[in-house]
Amino acid sequence: MLIGLDVGGTYTDAVLLDGQQVIKKVKTPTDNEHLLDTLVSALDPLLDAAQGESLERIVLSTTLITNLIATNRIEPAALVIIPGPGLNPYTYDYHVPDTFLLSGAIDYRGREIEPLDQQELKKCAEEINKKGLKKAAVVGKFSQRNKKHEETVATYLKEHIPDLCVLMGHQVTGRLNFPRRIHTTLLTLATQENYNSFYSEILKLLKKRGITAPLYILKADGGTLSFELSAAKPVETIFSGPAASTLGVLALTPEGETSVVVDIGGTTTDLALILSGRPLFASRGARVGDRLTQVRAFATSSAAVGGDSCLEVENGALKIMPYRKGPAYCLGGACPTPTDAMRVAGLTELGDQQKAIRAMEMLGEGLKLNPQETAELVLDKTTEKIIAEIEKMFLSWEQEPAYRIWELRQKKKVRPNNLVGIGAASPALLPLLGKKMGCNALIPPNAEVANAIGAALAKVNLRLTFHFDTERQFFFIEENGIQEKNREVKTLADAESFAMSRLIEEGKKLGIDVNDQPELVYSEVFNMVRGWRTGGRLIDVCVQFPTGILKQQEEGDH
Amino acid sequence: MPTGLVFFPAFDWAITPTHPEREERLLYTRDQLFEEGIMDLPELIEYKPRLALKKDIARAHFCVPDIETQITDAHLYAAGGALVLADALMNKEIDNGFALVRPPGHHSMRVVHGNRGFCNIHNEAIMIEYLRKKYGLQRIAIVDTDVHHGDGTQDIYYHDPDVLFISYHQDGRTLYPGSGFCNELGGPAAFGMNINIPLQPYTTDEGIHYLLDNLVLPILEDFKPDLIINSAGQDNHYTDPLANMRFTARGYAKLNEKLAPDLAVLEGGYAIESALPYVNTGIILAMAGLDYSWVREPDYKEENFKETKENMDYIKELADYLWRVWKEREQLAEQRYERKEKFEEVNRHIYYDTDGIREQQHETIRICDQCPGYQIIRSRGMYSTGKVRVIEAVAIHHRACKTCQEEARGYYEQRKREREGLDVVYLQDKPGDRYYQCSADGEIEILD
Ligand SMILES: [Zn+2]
Ligand SMILES: [Zn+2]
Ligand SMILES: [Zn+2]
Repeated sequence: MLIGLDVGGTYTDAVLLDGQQVIKKVKTPTDNEHLLDTLVSALDPLLDAAQGESLERIVLSTTLITNLIATNRIEPAALVIIPGPGLNPYTYDYHVPDTFLLSGAIDYRGREIEPLDQQELKKCAEEINKKGLKKAAVVGKFSQRNKKHEETVATYLKEHIPDLCVLMGHQVTGRLNFPRRIHTTLLTLATQENYNSFYSEILKLLKKRGITAPLYILKADGGTLSFELSAAKPVETIFSGPAASTLGVLALTPEGETSVVVDIGGTTTDLALILSGRPLFASRGARVGDRLTQVRAFATSSAAVGGDSCLEVENGALKIMPYRKGPAYCLGGACPTPTDAMRVAGLTELGDQQKAIRAMEMLGEGLKLNPQETAELVLDKTTEKIIAEIEKMFLSWEQEPAYRIWELRQKKKVRPNNLVGIGAASPALLPLLGKKMGCNALIPPNAEVANAIGAALAKVNLRLTFHFDTERQFFFIEENGIQEKNREVKTLADAESFAMSRLIEEGKKLGIDVNDQPELVYSEVFNMVRGWRTGGRLIDVCVQFPTGILKQQEEGDH
Repeated sequence: MPTGLVFFPAFDWAITPTHPEREERLLYTRDQLFEEGIMDLPELIEYKPRLALKKDIARAHFCVPDIETQITDAHLYAAGGALVLADALMNKEIDNGFALVRPPGHHSMRVVHGNRGFCNIHNEAIMIEYLRKKYGLQRIAIVDTDVHHGDGTQDIYYHDPDVLFISYHQDGRTLYPGSGFCNELGGPAAFGMNINIPLQPYTTDEGIHYLLDNLVLPILEDFKPDLIINSAGQDNHYTDPLANMRFTARGYAKLNEKLAPDLAVLEGGYAIESALPYVNTGIILAMAGLDYSWVREPDYKEENFKETKENMDYIKELADYLWRVWKEREQLAEQRYERKEKFEEVNRHIYYDTDGIREQQHETIRICDQCPGYQIIRSRGMYSTGKVRVIEAVAIHHRACKTCQEEARGYYEQRKREREGLDVVYLQDKPGDRYYQCSADGEIEILD
């Protein structure tokens, strides 16, 4: 059996699954100040229901990291950057008062084009020491292609400052984007400690209940990872909520279809896309507050309308406000809401019919419409707003820049087969949305705990993007910062088979099912021509065990 | 408003695997731009290229025997990338824009028999004709900062008084394509609208900026264009393997800051490692109004980029001379062209280096008191395979008067009927925005 727990900002969902079958589900409010208590109250009923049957794993999706960052409960750290030539490094604000700039530069091929300055480094270490900082992030431009400068600086700082905790950019992410690498490194450094202490509490709590099943964590990219491994990069667990709900929908809808995940909440409607059975990823990495990171996450979007959105009339026009004043009028709230309109239109049994009519009357006065007409208008406006956001999401996916002819050529206009509703107000509104968009409106069974189901069923995923430089006889891996010498890889075929065997090797370490099919995501080769002759090659190969959900038959094997 | 950027490096397109115009060309530029995180800045917005239509191409070119033969999808996306930015500019989504696209285009002439100087179709000309047609722009200036003479641009706009072309390039006696001398000043209707600035080899930032400040910018101020376009080649760079100049990334950035082009389109530049990542970063930052003073090549030292006195004397003399030509262009035109004649005729040879094609052209230029007239081009392309193609093309200016329009259309209709000896006959009817070609297979209108 599997347990999935999704600790959201407002509610915590939990399920006990046997295969894909829901044995028990729990929904309880989240107490953000006492997340452990929330976990206990969600978990215990499931353990009772399991009646001692063996648990394979517990998967947790949590807002812990989001909360830590949002509330700024993070310790100050020094930021040491080695920007080299290019953009003025002060263009971006990293919100770090103790930022140190070092000279020295690595270029796009990983060649040192300017050495470090020993005097500067010495002064930097003295300053950090003087300020009593306990942590430092060291990030260089193109450090993913040559970690030498970062390592020299880190080693020096550690030697000269006792107990300094140093994290280097290349350890965190190897994707191109120096400012994002800085932010991601800072966030990783800032959250590691709290993450560790939170999870040691959870482990204690599980141990007390005699649970030996491994604890897995859901990441923003929809994959799970055992807790011990996730501790290196806690920032990857941020925003796992949308990943959980999307995976939940994946589990609850027919395979291979294109669906929009629609989560209609109080004042917002959250959206995610599944294209031909594959969740859509954000093209560049998650935004955390005002920081752009390199955390791989699902593409999500949000329309500023929900069941409790306050409705007003301004200059004879209906307006949907971005806030709420308590629940819907028909449920004892203060102002008319889309939920009242749904009640009047007979789309829901929720709340008091008379109050709902009264709400539409109040609103209709300024619009010179009767309650029925007013409700219709409200539903029109509400659905329009959500549909516009859905269209925008598809459009921005279509408009994503591409740098190859085949990529530009293959991107066709795609529209969804299904709208899949989760969240409180979805059942009432979804059929209307589906009708307007000409696609199926699905409210799958157990939709209210889709997030927990998604977490429970999430597969361990792994993506490795290799960059080989055969001239420099070297390669690095974007995702884990590995940089190694390599003499064997000379051709694209060499590179592909090397990457694939490395993927399988690394996958085993993570506990990926050996029966899972690894995929070649893309591979391309650039011949380096110097003086009209071919020299070395630059080869990019991306391989993965994709994000997805455990399938029924695979579960049956156990 | 932000600066628009179309980045289309065509990582899956090359002329041949080892050709300078190959997949690898913008690879390191990509790495530099991506690592800088430039696309995340609010000062920049990235657009995706679209496919240009055949009609867009027909506004600028006569493709022999047809458009399909001359282009691939890469060409359509490169030209389409420029069009996307043109729209974004006119829709006021952006302040200015840079189409960082390949393949390049500024050696493509009106008649296209094949690839010249790595170019098949002219991205800027296609964009300009689109802007004129769709948004009614009148006066356009193109400044070519590629080290090679923009002979395609010169050819396409030689008879167009509404388009001012200024080309910086290494002297044609020392570099491909061997043209671009000071006396190539424009046809009878557009004399003085074609300004060539031939530079001595090893000219540096100092010399190029002297000419910018003392010649190019004053001319632009005088001309008052609706739009300034930079044909942004980067092979003036001191490390370029195909030329001999001494321009730097910072020099390029500063040039773009001062010139303030509305739209820039990448042309040549083949120092793919030592120059392009830095030059492109510099240009983008300058266009976006961001600090580019941190952009420098690894071996850059300011003192290495000073002009010799001898060259500076030449440069000053050149600036004075061309300024005088510009100011006195109307009088000079009268001396040069006999206004009494209704037609002017020109013969010339054109060589296509990449495809090894020799072309003979006979151009008949209609001179009209009322309008910029029209031209009839008879072109004979001799291919390396021994094959020969002969075509005739009629090009009518946007502002051609009724009489000229009727004359030109009449000529086309007549040639269509009496096509003997001609493989294709073309009509480029810009006033009507209709484009036709007629061959043994019949006549077609070029639409989309
Ligand atoms: Zn030029
Ligand atoms: Zn050039
Ligand atoms: Zn006329």
